[in-house]
Amino acid sequence: MDLTYIFQQVLNALSLGSMLALLAVGYTMIYGVLGLINFAHGEVFMIGAFTAMYAITGLGFPLPIALILAIIASVLAGVLLERFCYRPVQGSGDITLFITSLAASIGIRSLFVMLFGSRSMQFPMPKYLQGIRFWGDILITDLNLIIFVFTVIITLILSFFIKNTKLGIAMRGVSYNKQTAEAMGINSTSIIVATFVIGSALAAVAGVAWGLQYGNVRPAMGYHPGISGFIAAVLGGIGNISGAAISGFLLGVGQVLFVAFLPSVYSGFRPLFVWIVLFIILFYKPTGLFRSNIKWE
Amino acid sequence: MKLTENHSDNFFKNRKKYTLVILFIFFILLFILSNSLSGYYYRILLLFGINVILTLSLNITNGYANIFSLGHGGLMLAGGYTTALLTLPVEFKANTLSLPLWLEQAQVPFIFSIILAGIVAMIVGLTILLPAFRLKGHYFILASLGINIIMINIAENVRPITNGATGLRGAPPYTNIWWIFGIAIFLIYLIWTLLTARFGRAIKAIGKDQGLAEAMGVNSAKYKAYAFMISSFFTGVGGALWTHLILTISPSSFDLLVVFQIIMMLVIGGVSSISGSILGAAIITAILEILQPL
Repeated sequence: MDLTYIFQQVLNALSLGSMLALLAVGYTMIYGVLGLINFAHGEVFMIGAFTAMYAITGLGFPLPIALILAIIASVLAGVLLERFCYRPVQGSGDITLFITSLAASIGIRSLFVMLFGSRSMQFPMPKYLQGIRFWGDILITDLNLIIFVFTVIITLILSFFIKNTKLGIAMRGVSYNKQTAEAMGINSTSIIVATFVIGSALAAVAGVAWGLQYGNVRPAMGYHPGISGFIAAVLGGIGNISGAAISGFLLGVGQVLFVAFLPSVYSGFRPLFVWIVLFIILFYKPTGLFRSNIKWE
Repeated sequence: MKLTENHSDNFFKNRKKYTLVILFIFFILLFILSNSLSGYYYRILLLFGINVILTLSLNITNGYANIFSLGHGGLMLAGGYTTALLTLPVEFKANTLSLPLWLEQAQVPFIFSIILAGIVAMIVGLTILLPAFRLKGHYFILASLGINIIMINIAENVRPITNGATGLRGAPPYTNIWWIFGIAIFLIYLIWTLLTARFGRAIKAIGKDQGLAEAMGVNSAKYKAYAFMISSFFTGVGGALWTHLILTISPSSFDLLVVFQIIMMLVIGGVSSISGSILGAAIITAILEILQPL
């Protein structure tokens, strides 16, 4: 249990952390503007991974085009979800919104089980991503590095966008106080749609990264990452993009280290880690680790 | 100011005279049904009864007290595994599990095993949820979802006790129409009486407006914990009855889908209503059975 081992584990965890960070950013934005836990976000993530898988194996496209197709499919799914599931029930109370999102999630998952079966399907990895590098005793896979760099760049661009552009400011306005934002002449409906577009695109990127990293996709794949992503969003302070990304990385790295330090018999307890962290942090700081951007009543 | 609605008091008083008569007719009906129904329909009737128990106990928290919990699947799991471990045949326990001797030899009568199942579910609910009572709104919902995932995860990974994802097989088929509907009627009576008592007025007030209730002197933390205890006890009992009906349980049979079905029964029948819970349980049980072959 030396320092090299720990560092190696942290590096291995970077890709999982990146995926959770991307999901958490999407969650935090959608929760911010709509005030609902979008359980179907994990399914949007799964749709992205499936589209990329099908584009590569079925249609023979290269990975970048598959990624773009995955983003298109996920964005479409996100926008349709917003239009047909969440918009009709807007303003009808927490529990209704909650049940709607849970129902959407279970419905999409069951649809994919019906169409593709519930078993895992292989996600092919192109040759140019399979390289590995050595840095002293530490081994780094190219894929891990690329996913990490990609995520950091996306998060930085997105936080710049949210801070400085007009659309970003409008999004923050709607998530802070919808009525006032509307009174200032902001069309909240189109802002919500824009938020879903961005969040779903990020989920698609995370889905493709997941497929590449773990080599398979299945209809139920979105459940645990989706919930971990939401926990990361809560810990990061709702509406806080960089907070969500940082907590996503913390949870991903923490999960892997949690398993690395326990005997291998207990490796199945990995999903427990996020819950333990959630309970401990929320108990002492119910508003999350970082400053949130929603109004607390 | 009194927190009760006076007309409902009178309503209950007048009804009390007829309650015994109605109960008598009901039990005769049950007797006829238990002798006339064939295996499949009898089973659906039993499932309906268990769903009534689960929905009613969820109604105490998610309906009256307005603490929206998604964790009741985990509590059912706690109850189900408790009763299964206490009543499974000794050979099965000796061959597949490695339990302490007293638990391996345990053959507890049904009544005690379901009561213990309820108590274990209550303890699980309290240990996980007491810290979560600090949270509000969606954060509480998320934390309660945690109970579900944590319990399933534990059941999948503590192989010596729970046999992992394969689950436990061969629980004795103790559940019958009398147990289920007896407990259901007891639960209905309990909720009915509690609702008109101080406890019920307090949790209804908390459910409507927690801040106002606290300002009126209601100790909201105490009553919410009581409501959650009663609810998790009967959820554990429901899970135990379910185990002795289905006979084979595995961690995945208590996942979010089960909770979602109970929440649907609750919402379709109408939140915060006893008859609504029963009606919702009937409708969803029927729909699920009709859709089964599809």
